[in-house]
Amino acid sequence: MRDERTPNARVTRSGMRGQIGDFLRRAAPALLPIGLLLLTACGGEHPRDTLNPAGDSAEVSAWFFWLYMILDTVIFAIVAMFFVAAIVKFRRKPGDDTLPPQSHGNMKLELMWTVIPTFIIIGLSIITVGGVFKLDGRPALEQRQVQVDVIGKQWWWEYDYTQHGFSTANEMHVEEGTAVSLQLASADVIHAFWVPRVSGKRDATPGRVYPLRFTPKLLNDIGEDPTKVKEFVGQCAELCGASHARMGIKLFVHPKTGPNSYDNWVTSMKKAAAEPTTDVQEKGKKLFGEKGCVACHNIKGHYDFRSPRSRTTGPDLTHVGSRSTIAANTLPTNVDNLAKWIKNPQAIKEAALMTNLGLNDEDSKAIAEYLMNLK
Amino acid sequence: MSAEAALDHGHAEGHDDHADGHDDHGHGDLVENNYMKVPNIKLAIWTFLGSECMFFGSLIATYFFYHEKSITGPLPQEIFSIEITSISTFILLMSSWTMAMAVDAIKQGKTGRTVNFLLATAVCGTVFVSFQVYEFWHFYHMGLALQTSLFGSTFYTMTGFHGAHVSVGVIWLLIMAIMVKKGYITGEKAYSIESGGLYWHFVDIVWIIIFTFVYLLEFAKPLSDAVK
Amino acid sequence: MSAKLHTIEDIESPPPDMHFERGLKSGITDWLTTPDHKKIAVLYSLSGFIYLLVGGLEAILFRIQLAVPDNNFMGGDTFNGMVTMHATTMVFLAIMPMTAGLANMLIPLMIGARDVAFPRLNAWSYWTFLFGSLVLNFSFLHPGAGAPSAGWFGYAPLTGPEFAHAGVDYWWAGLALLSASSLAASINFIVTILNLRAPGMTLFRMPVMIWMLLVIQFLLALAFPPVTVGLILLGFDRMFGTLFYQVSMGGDPHLWQHLFWVFGHPEVYVLILPAMGVVSEILPVFARRPLFGQIAIIFSGIFIGFVGFGVWAHHMFTSGMGPVADAAFAATTAIIAIPTGVKIFNWLGTLWNSKLSFPTPMLFALSFIPMFTIGGLSGLMHASPPLDLQQHDSYFVVAHFHYVLVGGALQGLFAGFYYWFPKVTGKMLNDTLGKIHFWLFLIGFNVTFFPQHILGNNGMPRRIYTYPADAMWGFENMLGTAGALIMGSATLIFAYNMFVSFKKGEEAGNDPWDACTLEWLTTSPPHVANFEFTPIVLSERPVWDHKYTDGHEIVAPDKSESFHMPSYSWKPLIVSSCVLTIVLGLLLNTFIPGSYLWGLSVVGGVGTVLGVYAWVTEPV
Repeated sequence: MRDERTPNARVTRSGMRGQIGDFLRRAAPALLPIGLLLLTACGGEHPRDTLNPAGDSAEVSAWFFWLYMILDTVIFAIVAMFFVAAIVKFRRKPGDDTLPPQSHGNMKLELMWTVIPTFIIIGLSIITVGGVFKLDGRPALEQRQVQVDVIGKQWWWEYDYTQHGFSTANEMHVEEGTAVSLQLASADVIHAFWVPRVSGKRDATPGRVYPLRFTPKLLNDIGEDPTKVKEFVGQCAELCGASHARMGIKLFVHPKTGPNSYDNWVTSMKKAAAEPTTDVQEKGKKLFGEKGCVACHNIKGHYDFRSPRSRTTGPDLTHVGSRSTIAANTLPTNVDNLAKWIKNPQAIKEAALMTNLGLNDEDSKAIAEYLMNLK
Repeated sequence: MSAEAALDHGHAEGHDDHADGHDDHGHGDLVENNYMKVPNIKLAIWTFLGSECMFFGSLIATYFFYHEKSITGPLPQEIFSIEITSISTFILLMSSWTMAMAVDAIKQGKTGRTVNFLLATAVCGTVFVSFQVYEFWHFYHMGLALQTSLFGSTFYTMTGFHGAHVSVGVIWLLIMAIMVKKGYITGEKAYSIESGGLYWHFVDIVWIIIFTFVYLLEFAKPLSDAVK
Repeated sequence: MSAKLHTIEDIESPPPDMHFERGLKSGITDWLTTPDHKKIAVLYSLSGFIYLLVGGLEAILFRIQLAVPDNNFMGGDTFNGMVTMHATTMVFLAIMPMTAGLANMLIPLMIGARDVAFPRLNAWSYWTFLFGSLVLNFSFLHPGAGAPSAGWFGYAPLTGPEFAHAGVDYWWAGLALLSASSLAASINFIVTILNLRAPGMTLFRMPVMIWMLLVIQFLLALAFPPVTVGLILLGFDRMFGTLFYQVSMGGDPHLWQHLFWVFGHPEVYVLILPAMGVVSEILPVFARRPLFGQIAIIFSGIFIGFVGFGVWAHHMFTSGMGPVADAAFAATTAIIAIPTGVKIFNWLGTLWNSKLSFPTPMLFALSFIPMFTIGGLSGLMHASPPLDLQQHDSYFVVAHFHYVLVGGALQGLFAGFYYWFPKVTGKMLNDTLGKIHFWLFLIGFNVTFFPQHILGNNGMPRRIYTYPADAMWGFENMLGTAGALIMGSATLIFAYNMFVSFKKGEEAGNDPWDACTLEWLTTSPPHVANFEFTPIVLSERPVWDHKYTDGHEIVAPDKSESFHMPSYSWKPLIVSSCVLTIVLGLLLNTFIPGSYLWGLSVVGGVGTVLGVYAWVTEPV
């Protein structure tokens, strides 16, 4: 029993303008994303552009991106083409009650569009497996390496340069063209270390240590000044609590030679902390000891840390004045910001584990002055 | 083929299963065309048991994931008593026999016999659970708590959930016994006792797996190199 | 028995007391005690839709926070709570119940049965779902804590007693109730589909919608237990101090990840396959021809369901499983692309050589194809670890799964609502409002999510409550917020349409769309016992073939055939309340230690046993 009312009889406009209008309306689902892509892809150099690789690992990832992107675009174009063509070509004309051919399928087509994708998938899988093992490759043992033990903590990064015997935090320094070998661990929950332009990410899992290896490209090769240090930025990429968004990473790639070389940086980091030069800094140094900062922070030569390291041990502050930011890339390093942080860490970073010692403005500023001098 | 024939014989055109047109109106059973020739309740229990395989599979896999990874606390070999656990295992195995006898009895319409065997099964199950309770109490006093070590956490949780399933089974058996006694279940509905039997046998099989791989396998190697 | 043969034309409107419509306007007692799958379907669908709005509101709130850099509309823990609840709500409280609503309404109708195999268990599933959803949302009110903020995937040890506040207790307890609800429902539907089909309906004469619903019931029955175990282990860590995820005592966070994702991956196929079923039902009707390659589409669905159990660790490529595991899961994940492609090509084949018309359900069904294709293609990228190491935990993944879940699953559900609303209520939804809903939603959706591919490529991680201006993510985030508001408006228009059309929409009649399957045989709304006569099925498009093929009769026996409909009962609601009490006892005992409130759990347990006894001995 057919329903008398025929809601299928949607009137479609005839004539050229109507046809184009219809086409646009029907094809919009396919055209919209492409239009938006063009709109939003414009812009300057993005500081974390994974498609502008500055490390060998990121380069492999970017290569895979373009491989899949081309394939995906071709596939989508084929689907979109048939989709739009069908919608335009096979519209029911108003008043036409006849049935189209009631075919149930076509074995040849089924086989074709099962077998061809199977071969494509097999090909992609072989290439992918190759990429998996390539990215897991270890650099040759005799090769010069920068080795850093990375410990993720809520919400900052500890870097132990055990080769050289010092520790720093949040800002990692490496050398161009030299293999970097990170051992990722965590003191509390799962974090993930990610500097997009240089490498894909890896999890830092408590109870496990897992390596992340990459080699930053030569500064010359990425169009940078080969005598200056190049800065890359990243952050934690695994939800780790209230201040997950404030767990930033900076990666400084040094030239191999010259005044800004990596070796020079290592030498400066091995030195003990700088002595205070003003009275305020002297006062700050004293307060650092009296007020309890020593319970969590190491300053080589002034307050060498004796307690066993724990989950809540804070960053090494021996050269904190030479770090470009504090609180894991939350604020630029200067006396005012240091003082604000010392006075009330939780106001700057929600739920920060650094104890609020209840210091007044004057004392905070003094300690800040002391720390700012530790370059 | 004619539709009339389809109705009369309940035969449908088709290359696979055929409609058995006989009605099986039970109590609110909406079984009209029992394609699978398996009563609704029985099919439901089979599906449920499939799900339970994944449930116990995950618990047992967790046990093995953490096997020999405990940092502290008593080791399995130090506290397991294979003799006592063998007795409780035997009793549980016997209960599968009494359960099978109960199903056999209901199929012959012998409701009195059915009730007796159902109760016997329930008693066996209760004895098993009592042995488990004793075992847990004993281990606890030897220094193994839930919070002591990974062994404590995984062992108690896995066997505890098994014991809980046995306990639920005992309640199920008692309910079935009451229902047979009161005449709610008769010979025509033997499949509902059979379905309870399926659950009971499953719980038994899970125990066999646990007993073999958790208890017995600990003693397959000499004590010296088990203490790693 | 010789039967008097009837044809469809002989089916008249049933007498008023048998009419389902009165059912929709019946009193509250009816709704609380109903065993009728159609009423339960309405309960599920309405609840799911309300939670869709709740989840949408949560999204709009956190999108306001993300609209500009360095915003302070909400802090870190609040934001994390919003994203956690948004995801948990959308997956478990919106898409799944709306799917359950479709399943409940359609399975008996499409297979020619009178109800599901276990009507009271069906009701129990709904109440348990409702209670689970309330437990989850009660977290907002917990003093000093609030909504769970450890992500919908709840990675340990962030969810452990050391790091997460009470919100996570509501989370694992609510999800435990939801898993029980789903398990019972899946058993019910499997038995119904396998055992209660009308005479003549062999498995391959079943509609594709029913096939997809059958496959997901197996996925639910087998995939939920691992995460139930994972949640129990987490609950034990939090309540009893066990060591399952305690790293300092040897616990391994990867245990949680494996247990969760063994469930989590089949779960996404649970979310998408029914929508694919809806598309497979709607396209042929408005193309006026059969579904192209119906058998291939069915087998593809089965294959996807099966292989979907073997790909879970593609969510763990960055976790350090080692290259062998990475490579293995990369290969299995890529395989799923093949049957997915087969479905898409067959749908295109359905459109070819057809006669298309475009009412609102067809617009949503059509739009599914390109949107889901985009999502599927970005998913194919994620299957490759070298690429996924950059994309994982970035906005590229957010773009991917919103394309498949919103552009795919939600559009499919919208299509289903527009298509079957006339059958359920007897009224047509307003087509003009429908088209406004469609276009507004499509535009808003693409405006929000397409730029997120760019954000991912530009290194923006997931779940960050704010970002600095120099990250250069501001423009796409602003678009994201604008699009969210557009989607919200579109959805409100849809809600308005449903409300207004239910009251005074155009009368639908039995078969307003000139469709193919058995549900269009009966009245709109359906007879309380679904069909006045038991249909006999001789093909996979019984109603269509009756209309358009000479001599194809849908025979029915004499009207005097009697059948027994299930009775109303309070037991499902009572037993479900007792199960809730067990859970509440555990929760309260965790919040107020040493209070003996676990006694409530004992009371709940006893109540459950007594209630079940009353249930099984109840005359039906």
